[in-house]
Amino acid sequence: MSDPDTRMNQVSLYKRAVIDAFLKLDPRLMAKNVVMFVVEIGSIITTLLWLQALAGHGEAPAAFIGAISIWLWFTVIFANFAEALAEGRGKAQAESLRKMRQDTEAKKLRDEFRIVKNRMPESSEYAIIPSSNLRKSDLYYVRSGDTIPLDGEIVEGVASVNESAITGESAPVIRESGGDRSAVTGGTVILSDWLIIRVTANPGEGFLDHMISLIEGAKRQKTPNEIALNVLLIGLTAIFIVVCATLWAFSYYSVETAGFGQVITVTTLIALLVCLAPTTIGGLLSAIGIAGMDRLIRRNVITTSGRAIEASGDVDVLLLDKTGTITLGNRQAVELIPVDGDDINQLAEMAQLASLADETPEGRSIVVLVKERYGLRGRSVGANEQMQEMQFIPFSSHTRMSGVNIGPISIRKGAADAIALYMEAEGNSVSPDLKAKVDAISGSGGTPLVVAKDGKAFGVIHLKDVVKGGIKERFSQLRRMGIKTVMITGDNRLTAATIAAEAGVDDFLAEATPESKLRMIRDYQAGGRMVAMTGDGTNDAPALAQADVAVAMNTGTQPAREAANMIDLDSNPTKLIEIVEIGKQLLMTRGALTTFSIANDLAKYFAIIPAAFITTYPALAALNVLGLHNAILSAVIFNALIIVMLIPLALRGVKYKPMTAEEALRNNIIMYGIGGIIAPFIGIKIIDLLLVFMGV
Amino acid sequence: MQPGSVPSAFRTQIRPALIIFILVTIVTGLLYPLLITGIAQVAFPNEANGNLISHDGSIVGSASIGQPFSSPGYFWGRPSATTPYPYNPEPSGGSNLGPTNPALINAVSARVTALRAADPGNNLPVPVDLVTSSASGLDPDISIAAANYQVGRVAKARDLSETDISWLVDQNTQKPQFWLFGEARVNVLSLNLALDDLAAHRISAPAQKTNLVEQEINSPFPGLSEKDVFQLVLYVVILILFLVPFGRFMAKVYTGEHTILTPVTAPVESWMYRVIGTSPDEEMDWKTFGIALITFNILGIIVVFLVQQVQYLLPLNPAGLGPVPWDLSLNTAVSFATNTNWQAYAGETTLSYLTQMIALTFQNFVSAATGMAVLIALIYGLSRKSTDKIGNFWVLLTRSIIILLPICIIISVILVSQGTIQTFNGPVTVPLLDPVKDSNGILITTQTIPLGPAASQVAIKLLGTNGGGFFNTNSAHPFENPTPFSNFVEILAILLIPVCLCYTYGKLVGSARKGIAILIAMTIIFVPLLGLAIWSETGGNPAFTPLGVDQTAGALQPGGNMEGKEVRFGVPFASMFSIVTTATSCGAVNSMHDSFMPPGGFAQMLMMQFGEVVFGGVGSGLYGMLVFIIIAMFIAGLMVGRTPEYLGKKIEPREMKIATIIIIIPIVLILSGTAIAVLSDVGKSAVLNPGAHGFSEILYAFTSVSQNNGSAFAGLSVNSLFYNIITSVMMAIGRYAPIILTLALAGAFAQKKIVPVSEGTLHDHRPLFIIWLVFVIVIIGALSFLPVLALGPVAEYLHIISGGLFHV
Repeated sequence: MSDPDTRMNQVSLYKRAVIDAFLKLDPRLMAKNVVMFVVEIGSIITTLLWLQALAGHGEAPAAFIGAISIWLWFTVIFANFAEALAEGRGKAQAESLRKMRQDTEAKKLRDEFRIVKNRMPESSEYAIIPSSNLRKSDLYYVRSGDTIPLDGEIVEGVASVNESAITGESAPVIRESGGDRSAVTGGTVILSDWLIIRVTANPGEGFLDHMISLIEGAKRQKTPNEIALNVLLIGLTAIFIVVCATLWAFSYYSVETAGFGQVITVTTLIALLVCLAPTTIGGLLSAIGIAGMDRLIRRNVITTSGRAIEASGDVDVLLLDKTGTITLGNRQAVELIPVDGDDINQLAEMAQLASLADETPEGRSIVVLVKERYGLRGRSVGANEQMQEMQFIPFSSHTRMSGVNIGPISIRKGAADAIALYMEAEGNSVSPDLKAKVDAISGSGGTPLVVAKDGKAFGVIHLKDVVKGGIKERFSQLRRMGIKTVMITGDNRLTAATIAAEAGVDDFLAEATPESKLRMIRDYQAGGRMVAMTGDGTNDAPALAQADVAVAMNTGTQPAREAANMIDLDSNPTKLIEIVEIGKQLLMTRGALTTFSIANDLAKYFAIIPAAFITTYPALAALNVLGLHNAILSAVIFNALIIVMLIPLALRGVKYKPMTAEEALRNNIIMYGIGGIIAPFIGIKIIDLLLVFMGV
Repeated sequence: MQPGSVPSAFRTQIRPALIIFILVTIVTGLLYPLLITGIAQVAFPNEANGNLISHDGSIVGSASIGQPFSSPGYFWGRPSATTPYPYNPEPSGGSNLGPTNPALINAVSARVTALRAADPGNNLPVPVDLVTSSASGLDPDISIAAANYQVGRVAKARDLSETDISWLVDQNTQKPQFWLFGEARVNVLSLNLALDDLAAHRISAPAQKTNLVEQEINSPFPGLSEKDVFQLVLYVVILILFLVPFGRFMAKVYTGEHTILTPVTAPVESWMYRVIGTSPDEEMDWKTFGIALITFNILGIIVVFLVQQVQYLLPLNPAGLGPVPWDLSLNTAVSFATNTNWQAYAGETTLSYLTQMIALTFQNFVSAATGMAVLIALIYGLSRKSTDKIGNFWVLLTRSIIILLPICIIISVILVSQGTIQTFNGPVTVPLLDPVKDSNGILITTQTIPLGPAASQVAIKLLGTNGGGFFNTNSAHPFENPTPFSNFVEILAILLIPVCLCYTYGKLVGSARKGIAILIAMTIIFVPLLGLAIWSETGGNPAFTPLGVDQTAGALQPGGNMEGKEVRFGVPFASMFSIVTTATSCGAVNSMHDSFMPPGGFAQMLMMQFGEVVFGGVGSGLYGMLVFIIIAMFIAGLMVGRTPEYLGKKIEPREMKIATIIIIIPIVLILSGTAIAVLSDVGKSAVLNPGAHGFSEILYAFTSVSQNNGSAFAGLSVNSLFYNIITSVMMAIGRYAPIILTLALAGAFAQKKIVPVSEGTLHDHRPLFIIWLVFVIVIIGALSFLPVLALGPVAEYLHIISGGLFHV
């Protein structure tokens, strides 16, 4: 097992990155990064000038040219190191993900297995492997109780399958080989019988492979935003090349007209060019992009395009599934309401007894409520004598009730209409009080369960969707960031409106169908908005394909995963919000370092200009505000070291917290704009002092 | 695009181009100057014909144009740098000597010595205006202090009493105009004529004389008097008053809404569009727009070139001027088409009245209108969605002229009322009161004063931020800019449209405050550089002080660095003119920029090097600014964590490519042009001033042409084959490359969807973004030009403050 965070791995990671930093000096690779390529050319030229100086014909002392040359090489190597380190970390993360991924188990049939009509495979004929090891056209075997590990086509057998995880429909369906009903979907459960299935698509591992290739710098496609930023950086570099090239002419003329002084050396011009060129951002740009993907992987999200990460920073509408994202996934009992004057404690006991064997989340929540609110100790099934007499009635789709028979007493709980039928069968009628209480709960968006004993209604359990803690605050943060939240639910409008209000979403789509989801996304997009959504079902696929950022749950069906541009291995719908934050952080880091890089140049001018022209115009010494002795070398060293010092920032991303655009801009301007102006003044001075201290 | 479709697109645009060309030439090149001449000759015949002074029935000179005086019995005027004799109006000119040029220091020293020698007992400090040459070489005025300094000498030479002479000075003193504008000053010719009258007893001094009470200068700002401050405040107030109504008016004209002019212009417009076969609804994509624009501009260059070649065959050439050399013609043609109006020629001695009218005045209108049309196209591109149409060039061009023309008429008439000439009379020759020997020792007894229809051209040269004057010394010439009030109006005219267009922009994109925000950003950059120039110029030249020259400002003299400046404007408003004209790409001048102190020259160059976007040329300034906004928005957008957008339009690689190239072009042109010039002998030999200042002359020249400004450190002799050709190329690239790219940008933005505004949108009208925008503009300008400025004005300035004077 390789854990990327262990010390051993850290060391080997850094070793590898150092080696890669040198390998990346290959001009064919460097040419992809124009800014750093210019630095490399400068390094080569100064190296040649140094050799010339060693031979005794130098334009400046060999030691000076040599020192500048070394630090220019360091500048390139530091930038390469940043990229290599980001790549290494990302790859290690992806690899460990691939290995550590806890898949569903799959019973892969051995290659020698031959299909025989109606014959179940023996246990010797298959091997149990992680589903991620399955490959397209492999055969696997599933039997009652198994989860189907991967999408596939049935080649043998007939079975009833619960596809509720995908379709939301709880009634089992029949799947059999041949014909229209031969396709099965990963994540569905076999209820009875067995099947032999041929894998039709490789598991999500394909995504991982894809992602690893995204991380590798050489194969990495630049995203549109990276290209746009690169254009600006190349433009700035072009300006500085012209500035430095023409400066030689100006210096020559100045020396000529002043009658004394020294024309600026090529070494100094190259040093000036490298200091001015946006090397900080140019050197760290690809590392920032890779680190963005790395951060995604750390959150167990894999993506197939860097573009999707950036797009997630732009998202202004989040479509969130109610269940699991906004609410706790299942309804919970929140209140017991007796009817027709019955005793509440008795109702509590009835409710408890009726739910003891009910393993559904709703049933558990009833037991918990009774225990906490009414002090009735939970009784575990079969724990004592009395229990032995109990006969539990499981939920049946026929009666739509569940309950328990204790001796002659029968206790039932179920939906109001189911209980009404039951009561009528027992000769009782629904009292006005019961009806009023049931309606009141429905009216508030809740679900009423009626508890009856021996055909007589005893009271009502109020089941309610429980909104996750802190979600409201989360949404209001999103609103401040300019992101609108839309809740998607299959519930009716009334229920949806209640939960929407409680959760504080901006809008909701009730009684959602695949078509209405798709329409909603298109409407938002037509208004110029960027839409993000999560989905898992096959019927989500069209909407996922339409959305700008589409996150499929790993438990989702293959079509859903293919339509999406990200996959969440944890299948946690709330993660969409984190993805948006990662996208924003990525762009912010780019912007912050660009600003920092440009702001740095001011101090470098004050260092280099006086030093370069002082022999011609001694009065320019007044510009040497820092009182530097080795101005040019100090500036070059600062320029190289700042790249190293900012690697952690590039990999971690700038500090991000939800805030308005205005606040974000202000914070970043103060930190990286003003900070970027001041930092080099201090840094260059310190380096200069150290150089003087070392006797340079 | 299919092969051959570009040439065919050109062919389809030639017909409308020709028709509009002819119509606009008739309107702006003939009807407009004729109209102004008509009004001028009826309403202000004296002013319009040159303020000629009649004495005993014969013309003895012009009150606007100074004469040389060197006899001790006359008051002497400002030193004049014209050749071959001082105060030769053919052509006007300043010394252009830089503040650290030994030649300047020696000249001032020699003048001080001459003054002292002519008046041995007088040990008063010499007022600075008496020993520094004026900008035009024709300055008719001296300060009261300069007159007072000479009273003793004149009295002695004339054998008259000093009190009588002082009374005469007082009688000939003009107080600040409307108690507010300009300096109190003495017209030397009038004073000397009166002196002759007094000596000949044609007039006599009264026994009781009242003298001007000397006022103490009293102002919180160094070098600025209270009235100067008041004038500045008035200037700002007037601009603010114009901002909303005029900005809205322009927006309405462009969108075709009803304005006060509609009853007149609507029929003309619809007739014109019918003739050329277009209509406001028939819009163009960016390529067609660009082809129409280029076709029209090429036509302009060809015609202006040809008119100069054949002007001697055409009417309205009273001075009988011959054809203009081809390279100078080409330079002038490109210069006016590109809104640069770089004057390699001296108007009064090179171009006929007809050339000035139909070639130059016309081009002043259409080059300004071209810039405005491009701006509107970019605004359409930014504010529309999912279309490829960015407006109809012919319609936007026409409507721009509709905006310019009425205001030009108003400004022309105001200028004529002040003494800006507007006449078809030929040059007038007047006798010199005090004949003078020229540089060859020949006695000169007359002065020939060129005239012409100047006011109509001056108005559009300012309003359209063209800057191409009628005379060589531009708005420093007394016939272009005769009074302090005319100066005030001229500075106002330069900024009027660039300022108000900001509001127009806001209106057209649906949020006035966006426009105001841009205006504020421009102002934030403008004010410190204006302050720098005024501070530096009012401080004077430290090299003059040891020579016994008094440069202190006071009620009796403007003081400050008066070399290359006119007495009537004073130092603060010469400085202000210079910053306004460089900020706006106007390039008109009322003083010689070459003679500014280094910080003043630094401020002027930096104003241009910021990309001519701080106000900038009409239209061009704002479209340039929008490019900077896109760059600033891109980085800011990243910093807030969204794909950057402006006005809801995503800024993607294509837009960044175009915007970046637009920013780079002038920087590359300026630096490479300067480098070529300093490395070539022809380039270097044109330099007048030695050392760092000479370098600044070349740098300024290439900055000015690349940014289409047109002003100059005029000591550089640019009328040579080398400079005429290289500057023509730079002007053309500096103008048309950004225009084509801006149109491409408009096309790219027009096709985009608009992202709705949300809390996550970065607002571009809030103070934070304004500061950020200023930061981006300043840092790009500073990073590109600090090294080169360090070798020019910065080195020169640091040398001065470190106590050195020469060898810089």
